[in-house]
Amino acid sequence: MADPASISCEHLTYSYPGAAPALSGITLEVRAGEYVGVVGPNGGGKSTLVRLLNGLLVADSGHVRVAGFDPAAEPFEVRRRAGVLFQNPDNGLVAPFVEDDVAFGLENLGVERVEMRERVREAIRSVGLTGYERREPHTLSGGEKQRVALAGLLAVGPEILLLDEPTAMLDPAGRGEVLGRVRELRGSRTVLHVTHHLEELFDADRVLVLNGGRLVAAAAPEALFSDADLLRENRLVLPTVPRLASDLGLPFCRTPEELAAAVERRSRDNSGVEAR
Amino acid sequence: MKIELRDVRHVYSPGTPFAVEALGGVSLTVEPGEVLGVIGGTGSGKSTLVQHLNLLLLPTSGQVLVDGADALSMDRTALRRRVGLVFQTPEQGLFAPTVEEDVAFAPRRLGLDEGEVRERVREALGLLDAGHLAGRSPFALSGGERRRVAIAGVLAMGPEVLVLDEPTAGLDPTARGDLIGLVVRLKASGVTVVIVSHDLDEVAEVADRVCVLGGGAVRAIGTPADVFYADTSPAPTTVRVAAAVGERRLPGLGRPVRYGETLAALRSAMGGTG
Amino acid sequence: MTAVRGVGQFYPVGSPLHELDPRAKVVATALLVVGLFFVDSAAGFAVAGTAAALLVAVSRVPLRVFLGLLRPVAFIVALTFFFQVFFLREGPTLFRWGFVEVHEGGLEMGLLLSARLLILVTTAGLLTATTAPVALADGIEDLLSPLKRLRFPAHEVAMMMTIALRFIPTLGEEAQKISRAQAARGADFTSGGLLARARALVPILVPLTIGAFRRADELAEAMESRGYRGGQGRVRYRELRFRTRDALALVLTVLVVLAAVLL
Repeated sequence: MADPASISCEHLTYSYPGAAPALSGITLEVRAGEYVGVVGPNGGGKSTLVRLLNGLLVADSGHVRVAGFDPAAEPFEVRRRAGVLFQNPDNGLVAPFVEDDVAFGLENLGVERVEMRERVREAIRSVGLTGYERREPHTLSGGEKQRVALAGLLAVGPEILLLDEPTAMLDPAGRGEVLGRVRELRGSRTVLHVTHHLEELFDADRVLVLNGGRLVAAAAPEALFSDADLLRENRLVLPTVPRLASDLGLPFCRTPEELAAAVERRSRDNSGVEAR
Repeated sequence: MKIELRDVRHVYSPGTPFAVEALGGVSLTVEPGEVLGVIGGTGSGKSTLVQHLNLLLLPTSGQVLVDGADALSMDRTALRRRVGLVFQTPEQGLFAPTVEEDVAFAPRRLGLDEGEVRERVREALGLLDAGHLAGRSPFALSGGERRRVAIAGVLAMGPEVLVLDEPTAGLDPTARGDLIGLVVRLKASGVTVVIVSHDLDEVAEVADRVCVLGGGAVRAIGTPADVFYADTSPAPTTVRVAAAVGERRLPGLGRPVRYGETLAALRSAMGGTG
Repeated sequence: MTAVRGVGQFYPVGSPLHELDPRAKVVATALLVVGLFFVDSAAGFAVAGTAAALLVAVSRVPLRVFLGLLRPVAFIVALTFFFQVFFLREGPTLFRWGFVEVHEGGLEMGLLLSARLLILVTTAGLLTATTAPVALADGIEDLLSPLKRLRFPAHEVAMMMTIALRFIPTLGEEAQKISRAQAARGADFTSGGLLARARALVPILVPLTIGAFRRADELAEAMESRGYRGGQGRVRYRELRFRTRDALALVLTVLVVLAAVLL
């Protein structure tokens, strides 16, 4: 790709009819292959951003380019290159059978039938649902439905994935299934991942904070999640492990093991201090 | 009020090729005034179990006792008033033009006079920090607000036991925190709470006892510390942290489960001024 | 928990009928249904009935599926039969008891109309039981496509069918869930007069409708984001092939219909 920026926005502003701006003056850039998280309180503008990037909404002012195209002017060029995984897979699956649903995007693109079959089979395999081709969506678990939705996007072969709180309605097992699949795509796709669960972004390249329609912060996860004031101002709730670490005055920790190691280190330091 | 399940089995579509045994002989007591957490994976029978507490589902075999008497012979309507059941995503059932009207639905069905109905509505909304929403349309609220209003709709019946099936599913962490606060307040006001959840962290925070269901049977039941420290494979984050610290042979940790306990235990394990 | 298989749903077993092109099946069903209205002799119904029974056997769909289909229409059949037998006074009298009279013409008409209804429902059931919903929608789209020139939205109609088939079970589960939730709040759907029962449905119908609109919004968004722009330039995943056996099936259908009508 000639343009190294997969997604770029300049002074992006959007208001829903008769409401205060949902997004104002957003300027950001996401490089190809980058994994970027987006967090912030409800109504902060996260979902609006995803919809502007996919041409489902058209900005009032500012410039957007996604995979080299302007989503407002050429939405179909953008949509084949940037797929959206929405919050509720129940309302995103169109067809009464899994394989027909996975084929939906390819049908719209007019892909030739032999190739379509191959790509559907491969996409279903890549989300670990081989054997589910003839299942009806309403008989699947939440995690399985969301994986079908993901397969539907992957079949089209997008270079960008826009994830709009894809795990919000899932139980822990379903969340794990979906996140596992997404993690496998890391590096080969540009990912913009909107979520309320900060632990899903522990190993993101960068995290953006949207609040009141403005981009209030953009930083590496450790830096961002260690900033207690920033978290509080944006109503972000730290998961248990980093929260314990922060309350204990320890550096950012991701896992119980990291925290245990940090506790041990501090305990040794402390006993050292007392012994002296 | 005390609810006892004795060897309760439940089979869906019995006698057909689609018959599924969801519960295979569950015995369990809900003690008055406690917060009982029910955990278990998808298909463990949690949702089937809780619907037996107010006999929305009837056991295929086994007994349900309320204060020692057979619940099957009791008046169903009265029982459902005493045992309030809040299903998953209860906001799907909101239907009235205003929050107040919606919450008044259940007390009106009880045939209370209008003054009493208003009082119940005010009280229930108050408990859920939703008094200010009374005049609003339930459809114009945020996800967390809608959830709280829907719970108030069951609470307004004045139940002695409130059963919450996945009360925080699909909510953002702030709204989750609010609901956990509600459980604590309910307990303080004398209501018995049964909370079903996938989220071990939130069960750990509020439960007096924990019941682990798996494959339609009770796998473990007891205090959170007893249950979670007996098997830490699926355990709350706090317990996993304490276990990881314990493996490093740091002294004085004990068996903390709640966040506050864990924080204090870690502080003391670190020694010094922390 | 257990998905309820509704009546009139696809029954996925392998059979020669399942293999046929959905277009052939739709046309054949239409021919049989229309033809049935012109059948007026016992011999004609015998032919049509035998044909339907043979098809049921060939379809390998268990008989109980058809019985399930017939159950809801049994009442209508019984009512029709009753009216014809007791109120149509044509031909010689067969039976008289007080003011009740049964005439030969009435009995004959009652039997014919009942047979017509039963065969009709069985034929329609055969189509839905042996044809995957998507294939059915595709077939109908193809059959209607000549009307596209008259601006008839053939693709849209087919897409609507597909979506309806996809969402009927989902909405059914939602309705069940909401009614249980309202029952837990003291709602009572079974007692009182007609008006009281209708009013009792409000707490179910309102949320169900609102939920359906929300689903529709989200579905529209998801379809758009997946590049949907109507039927133009679209290639369907499933290919419909009209083969010799489909032509044979149609010819056979025409012959049976002609025989039944002319006899």
